[in-house]
Amino acid sequence: MDFINFFLDRRADIAAQTAEHVFLVAVSVGIAVAIGVPLGILLTRRPSLSAPVIGFANVIQTVPSLALFGFLIPIPLVGGIGNTTAVIALVLYALLPLLRNTYAGITSVDPSLVEAGRGIGMTDGERLRMIEIPLSLPTILAGVRISTVNAIGLTTIAAAVGAGGLGNMIFRGLSMVDSRLILAGAVPAAALALVADGLLGWLERRLSWER
Amino acid sequence: MGAMRKFGVLVLALLPACSAERRVVVGSKNFTEQVILGEMLAQLLEARGVEVDRRLNLGGTFICHRALLAGDLDVYVEYTGTALTAILKEKATGDADATYRRVREAYENELGLRWTKPLGFDNTFAVAMRPETAERLAIRKLSDLKAHQKTLRPGMGHEFLERGDGYRGLVLAYDLEFAEKPRGLELGLIYQALMEDQVDFVLGSATDGLIEKFGLVVLEDDRSYFPPYDAAAVYRPETAERVPALAEVLSLLEGNLDEAAMRSLNRKVDDERLAAPEVVAAFLRERGWK
Amino acid sequence: MSPHPAVELRNVGKSFGARRVLDAVSFRVEPGETLVLLGSSGSGKTTTLRCINRLVEPDEGEVDVEGREIRSWDPIRLRRRTGYVIQDVGLLPHLSVIENVELIPKLEGWSEERRRERAKELLSFVGLAPGRFADRRPRELSGGERQRVGVARALALDPPLLLMDEPFGALDAVNRRRLQDEFGEMKRKLSKTIVFVTHDVSEALKLGDRIGVMHGGRLLQLAPPAEILRRPADGFVAELVRE
Repeated sequence: MDFINFFLDRRADIAAQTAEHVFLVAVSVGIAVAIGVPLGILLTRRPSLSAPVIGFANVIQTVPSLALFGFLIPIPLVGGIGNTTAVIALVLYALLPLLRNTYAGITSVDPSLVEAGRGIGMTDGERLRMIEIPLSLPTILAGVRISTVNAIGLTTIAAAVGAGGLGNMIFRGLSMVDSRLILAGAVPAAALALVADGLLGWLERRLSWER
Repeated sequence: MGAMRKFGVLVLALLPACSAERRVVVGSKNFTEQVILGEMLAQLLEARGVEVDRRLNLGGTFICHRALLAGDLDVYVEYTGTALTAILKEKATGDADATYRRVREAYENELGLRWTKPLGFDNTFAVAMRPETAERLAIRKLSDLKAHQKTLRPGMGHEFLERGDGYRGLVLAYDLEFAEKPRGLELGLIYQALMEDQVDFVLGSATDGLIEKFGLVVLEDDRSYFPPYDAAAVYRPETAERVPALAEVLSLLEGNLDEAAMRSLNRKVDDERLAAPEVVAAFLRERGWK
Repeated sequence: MSPHPAVELRNVGKSFGARRVLDAVSFRVEPGETLVLLGSSGSGKTTTLRCINRLVEPDEGEVDVEGREIRSWDPIRLRRRTGYVIQDVGLLPHLSVIENVELIPKLEGWSEERRRERAKELLSFVGLAPGRFADRRPRELSGGERQRVGVARALALDPPLLLMDEPFGALDAVNRRRLQDEFGEMKRKLSKTIVFVTHDVSEALKLGDRIGVMHGGRLLQLAPPAEILRRPADGFVAELVRE
């Protein structure tokens, strides 16, 4: 119960950091979707590019997140401390699930449907809009869901480089060896991840009813 | 009797402490000066044939303190003001001697830990600003900050933000309310953030090498909010008994490390980017302490 | 009556890698006739069909549709002006039956009302009561029902030319018979040129005004059913029609 009181005491801080956290994740995943989904679609049109591009995204994923934040700091314009650097790193990390899922989703659409579309006189754009994208939407959404849940966890680390978000609570708790502080950051972050997973999962299922 | 004997030998063989009688665990907090001091203790001990386990760059004051209490560390360098306000949670006084005596007494009687005499420098908190900003806003002392609290952007380590004797105490003492929430950063980044104009002032330490390098202005603590922070080593008496060389090393350092020396060492690592072990080794050779 | 054949192939050849799939294929399809391309799998009949709506580009030779070389047509316009029905039907599973049928008019920019009307008309024409079927999903329909929708979709813009690639091949014998009969009926009501591909000899004999027998990428014989039966061009054709 000590934790509950502590939590209530600090609720203004926790609420503010949660809002920052949501903002950082939303902006990062939003940008990653804006880049990753069209790029994934492009890759299905130019399969020779798919290996190097997806390979690159794969390599980024293997870089430990704290290290990536650190690498970006000295770079002019995009670097420095704070939210900008955090968003850039988060976007890079979010790319792989989005690229992979978009590519896989579209290439797994029944080719005879795409061919039928071609045969009845649909342009490439019409086929994309009316056949390939609607049918691969659940897979693409799964990619968004995975990216989002990952991003929520990664954003906590961004506090090391001066970004906002619940990581600040956690880092303070670490320096004070105070588990209440750590929990005050970790519990809302975990809750955010659960909510995001649930919401986006529900959306995925709703859209695949239509299959 | 035979079985007991065998059991006893087995136990002895398994207890690492017993098998490594001349082993000391040296800790440090997570900023340059601390790493240098920890490295110094380690090299001095090794020169006297002691095996040293380095646990440098630990998360912060409280991690080091807990570890020392638990016996996971044998020694680290602490600051009297920090021990008084953050660990003992008592009110600060401006009196350096009184502060030292109080922490030494409290540690010995209540915690079973010992303090050496001060090493010779006061590493008080320094509120640092870029000279252009200080000039433009005519800020020389901490009480000048209030006039600009709507626009100034503070930056500091996570520990200072959270500590009772840290940020919260500071804003109370100087009646400050910054419009911009302070940014929490890894300590190693604060000066970079300041120089890249992402924050307007940072909480550093008086002995930071980069203050000199960047020609930063350190604001005067005109209301004497910060207690004295004399550096001294804190250690477990059991370890000193077990390893006589430790007492030797500690008395070597007492009173022999002044601010100028510390700042120069800090600068070698932070500015010239030399590795701490080499910097310390060169220093010890120069002083003839090895 | 148009002065030129609806479709004409002249010396069409095609290779896929080392494999020669079509070789010197030439024939004409007269307006209003149903020409059946008959052959086993690998004979080149489907590839020939797909040359007509440019899903396949020939390596040699020319293809004319309505007297114009198809390379001078915009491929999209060509395909919209040509009905295309395939064995798998290819209905979009995430759209309702009526949305599938009105797909091409929608692409052509017809108003919602107009394309709805037309789609309902077509569904009735192929024997699917709009009230019952319009809002169903393709997966809820039987094979025969799905193919009827496929035909309705192909007829949406009232194209003068219909290309059909084994449209009844995936159905069971009973449904196949029924759809063949209905198709025969339909033919008479519409005055379209139809190129129909099949491997089923009896289907060819039943539906074709003329039959083109293909084997190994070549056109062996092109003649009305009666002549194929009486005077097969070679041993292979004779063998084929012996059933």
